[in-house]
Amino acid sequence: MAEFTLTSAPPLAGVDQTFDGLHLRAPKDLAIVAVALPLGGEDAALAAIRKGYGADLPAPGKSTTAQEDGATLLRLAPDQAFILFHRAEPDAETIVAGRIGDTAYLTDQTDTWCALELSGPRARTALERICPLDIHPDAFAVGDAARTVMEHLGTIILRTGQDSFLLLSASSSAGSFLHAVETSIKNVS
Amino acid sequence: MTQPNRIGGGLIDRAKPLKFRFNNKSLTGFAGDTLASALLANGQRLVGRSFKYHRPRGIFTAGSEEPNALVHLRTGAHTEPNTRATMAELFDGLTASSQNHRGSLEFDMMAMTDFLSPFLSAGFYYKTFMWPKAFWEKVYEPAIRASAGLGRLSMEEDPDQYDKGFLHCDLLVIGSGPAGLSAALAAGRAGARVILADEDFIAGGRLNSETLELGGMAGHDWAAQALAELASMGNVRIMTRTTVYGAYDHGIYGALERCTDHLADSAGKPRQILWRIYSKRAVLAAGSTERPIAFGNNDRPGVMLAGAVRTYVNRFGVAPGKEVAVFTNNDDGWRTAADLSARGVHVRAVIDSRDRAAPISLPDVRHIRGASVVNTVGRKGLKSITLTDGQVLPVDCLAVSGGWNPNVHLTCHQRGKPEWRDDIKAFVPGGTMPAGMVVAGAANGAMTLASALAEGRAQAEAQISDLGFTPVKADPVEAEDEPQENAAFWYVPESRHRAWLDQQNDVTVKDVRLSHQEGFRAVEHLKRYTTLGMATDQGKTANIPALAIMSEITGRTIPETGTTIFRPPFTPVPMGALAGRARGKDFRPYRLTPSHKWAEEHGASFVTVGNWLRAEWYVQGDEKGWRDSVDREAKTAREKVGICDVTTLGKIDIKGKDAGAFLDKVYANTFSTLKVGKVRYGLMLREDGICYDDGTTARLSENHYVMTTTTANAVLVFRRLEFARQCLWPNLDVHLISTTDGWAQFAVAGPKSRDLLRKVVDKDVDLSNEAFPFMSCAEITVCGGTPARLFRISFSGELAYEIAVPARYGNSMMAVLNEAGAEFGAVPYGTEALSVMRIEKGHAVGNELNGQTTAHNIGLGKMVSQKKECIGNVLSQRPEMIRDDAVRLMGFRPVDRSQKLITGAHFINKGEEAVMANDQGWMTSVAWSPNLGHSIGLGFIKSGHERKGEIVRAVSPVHGTEMEVEIVSAHFIDPEGERLRG
Repeated sequence: MAEFTLTSAPPLAGVDQTFDGLHLRAPKDLAIVAVALPLGGEDAALAAIRKGYGADLPAPGKSTTAQEDGATLLRLAPDQAFILFHRAEPDAETIVAGRIGDTAYLTDQTDTWCALELSGPRARTALERICPLDIHPDAFAVGDAARTVMEHLGTIILRTGQDSFLLLSASSSAGSFLHAVETSIKNVS
Repeated sequence: MTQPNRIGGGLIDRAKPLKFRFNNKSLTGFAGDTLASALLANGQRLVGRSFKYHRPRGIFTAGSEEPNALVHLRTGAHTEPNTRATMAELFDGLTASSQNHRGSLEFDMMAMTDFLSPFLSAGFYYKTFMWPKAFWEKVYEPAIRASAGLGRLSMEEDPDQYDKGFLHCDLLVIGSGPAGLSAALAAGRAGARVILADEDFIAGGRLNSETLELGGMAGHDWAAQALAELASMGNVRIMTRTTVYGAYDHGIYGALERCTDHLADSAGKPRQILWRIYSKRAVLAAGSTERPIAFGNNDRPGVMLAGAVRTYVNRFGVAPGKEVAVFTNNDDGWRTAADLSARGVHVRAVIDSRDRAAPISLPDVRHIRGASVVNTVGRKGLKSITLTDGQVLPVDCLAVSGGWNPNVHLTCHQRGKPEWRDDIKAFVPGGTMPAGMVVAGAANGAMTLASALAEGRAQAEAQISDLGFTPVKADPVEAEDEPQENAAFWYVPESRHRAWLDQQNDVTVKDVRLSHQEGFRAVEHLKRYTTLGMATDQGKTANIPALAIMSEITGRTIPETGTTIFRPPFTPVPMGALAGRARGKDFRPYRLTPSHKWAEEHGASFVTVGNWLRAEWYVQGDEKGWRDSVDREAKTAREKVGICDVTTLGKIDIKGKDAGAFLDKVYANTFSTLKVGKVRYGLMLREDGICYDDGTTARLSENHYVMTTTTANAVLVFRRLEFARQCLWPNLDVHLISTTDGWAQFAVAGPKSRDLLRKVVDKDVDLSNEAFPFMSCAEITVCGGTPARLFRISFSGELAYEIAVPARYGNSMMAVLNEAGAEFGAVPYGTEALSVMRIEKGHAVGNELNGQTTAHNIGLGKMVSQKKECIGNVLSQRPEMIRDDAVRLMGFRPVDRSQKLITGAHFINKGEEAVMANDQGWMTSVAWSPNLGHSIGLGFIKSGHERKGEIVRAVSPVHGTEMEVEIVSAHFIDPEGERLRG
């Protein structure tokens, strides 16, 4: 037994609030691993992902739900994807490596980001105040994802359902990000 | 509490009376009133004093073009000056007061300026207050500002909230009059995403002000029906109380929504929202603005635009007067007479400047042909008018129509130039429109109801067809083309009294003549010389008549004369709305280090570094000033051990088979040769060879490097590397991702750092100097299995490490390190002690790498490899950049050790005059060294490397100081580096 132990304290842990027509919460233990497809090794990596997760890596700007680990495969760029899944331990990279081996370059991004899930029929109305992108269902379907900037903060927005969105932003500015989203909710509710 | 001028009808809700106060007088109006209509209903004609001459002024219009009726709305910190009474929606408890008078509105002591007007013409200030020069700022300007002007600010912080937002649509329809409604219906029915915006609080535009029928019903009923249909469509968003104020690039529009201005209290919600609307296409259906005719004393309360009189009568059920005359140069003015008569308001005469038959038959109304009004009487309210033939008509309201100007403003926001159309005597949109914009209805010169409806629909259908929607077949709405002929008649030449053009800025016809006489003949010069068209209304009613008069004087045509440039915003946008949420501590986002909470609990004072809040020092015990804390921290770190959160430094994970080759290209020195498990200091150059950034890069495995950057350049370096990867060398297998926020990183520095870390790292980690020497790195575990990265690097110059754990453990790790270090006397240290130690060690930071220094200047010239291709190495060898006598980074200490060095001081050789020609260099960083017991500095000095031991003067004319300093090595502490290798 080591003399000292470390306790985990993600910046938005415990955020869970319900408003009229809206639910805001920070998903617990959301692990994020960045996957970079090697130049010239793309096909091998894509095949490994298909085999390891039972799903094809979608096109950039799209996401798909995998058959393993309840994972979401989110393609951000031709050679970059995020794999999101539930994992409390700080070994997410190892888990992904276990599925796709060394066919791609992996970087644990769990602690780099903070996440907020905004759901409910008024989610889009609240996001109108900070999200510059068109997230009307016709323009941004379920599973679509995009990088943008909200209140000066780089953000990845992913439509997880008809009325639900996952927002990822830098963990160091989690307080400002939460404030931005909360203010938007309060201003429309 | 009667409303003497209230008549029947109108779109007001008489079941909802509202109380309000104007200049402390209690009055009542109804829901659906504006402040202006309620004031008129109460017989309040005098509402303000003019800008320059303090002339009594009344309500002139019924819309956002109002030049006169500006009031202070609300009280205390909520006061908003310059609110147009014509746009302020009445609510229960509204409080307003008039502006720009000393004493009461009725007896303004500044009204004497009006009698001095012969001396106060345009350009008066420029000519008069020239001398003595020193008087301008101290005497003249304050005096002029005190007497002239508009409303006054409360000087308190704005207590309201504001917000911003983003909207998207296929078709943005600006204006909800007949053309706008028609356009929105066509697009909405076809399934396009439509936003319909209107500055008014009810949609319908002029349909609410006119008695014209369409589709077999009253105009306002048709508007309400159209609106109900639009509201039922999920693809249409109706935004009333929303002014589209600017047209920007790529179909982006700025709009201001007034959310709670019509309520007594905002209830914590944003008062206004500044929207950015992204549209694929836009139909501008902004309508038109009536223009006045200039004649003597045409600014008296009671003289109004004819269309506005119709609005008050038809929409608000208010007669602006009991005896009304109409003065017109066009057919449309006649409709005012007709509508007034129909409501039982006595129309004494229609004075038509044209000598022709009446376009509308009004048997009970006297028609005076080919005549004009030359003067009016009634200082605080119109009493009578005098015509060209000398006859005097007693009236208390004069409705004036000089024709209508299409509201072309938004078509010009990207330098479109309006074109003159002689058939309607007005400018219409011309030149290049903002991308995606078309214009319909009166804004496009389609001045009749039937043509506006048809054009709105046609324009919308063309636009949405382009976007792939199929217009829905529907019969055209039945409507008439009302008579619209008008004459080019701008002012009454027979008038001998002042004839006002711009009532907001008190500019008269005579001022335009004067401007011409003095050579200010171009419209833009006319505007600057006379102030015509400035301030809150931007000359919406004044500009066209004024430039028509200028064209007449110069003998040019009106199109030759042209208009001034229309710029956003269309109507005023409050500063609060532009600021939005960005106020106080929310001005910008903040970033917290992982140990922020621990630092707060342990006496840290924080400093803003970019967006980061970093601990600058930790106050312990009875330390009284920052120096007490910083000296203790810097001393303890050198004697025992110190712990500092260095998470803010940029961290970039670099992976790929070509990662090493890539780093060789972006760094001036070589990294492909770096062994796994080792760290190297790297220097990055700009393309021009100047130093860009520096830091250490570690090789954790064959294909995996971790780069650190400076805090300030973290994002810039990442962006630069992405550019290099994607655009310069796309054939390299290299992948970048930022992990700055992912790892909590701590410097553990001092002779006891190894002992401290041994208690934290897991048992299999060998920290001995042999196993883990200076510049080593490893992926390890700490505290029983938590993944960590360990680097043996030293910014302080001591035996030191940096240890990183996943950020979620950062706060806990800070606590653990301090707890484990307690037995060694460990202290946390902040950015100040960090800085003291780096100056003691001679490490360069932003003060030294200031965008002008080269590797040669900082003594690292040899690091710039010439054996490879890398950014900046070729241009770094330009002769001027590698001169032998270039400035070099050196250390400095005061000859009299009790003296304090000053950053920014320049070095001058002994015996030489302190002038630029003798400049030898400058001091970049200074600190009090608690370890040396005196002030030390770093700086650049010519040929410094050859001048160790020389005494020069550090001169600061800014501080008025100079002192002798000795040039020494920049490495004040442990120049041989024995400590960090120990």
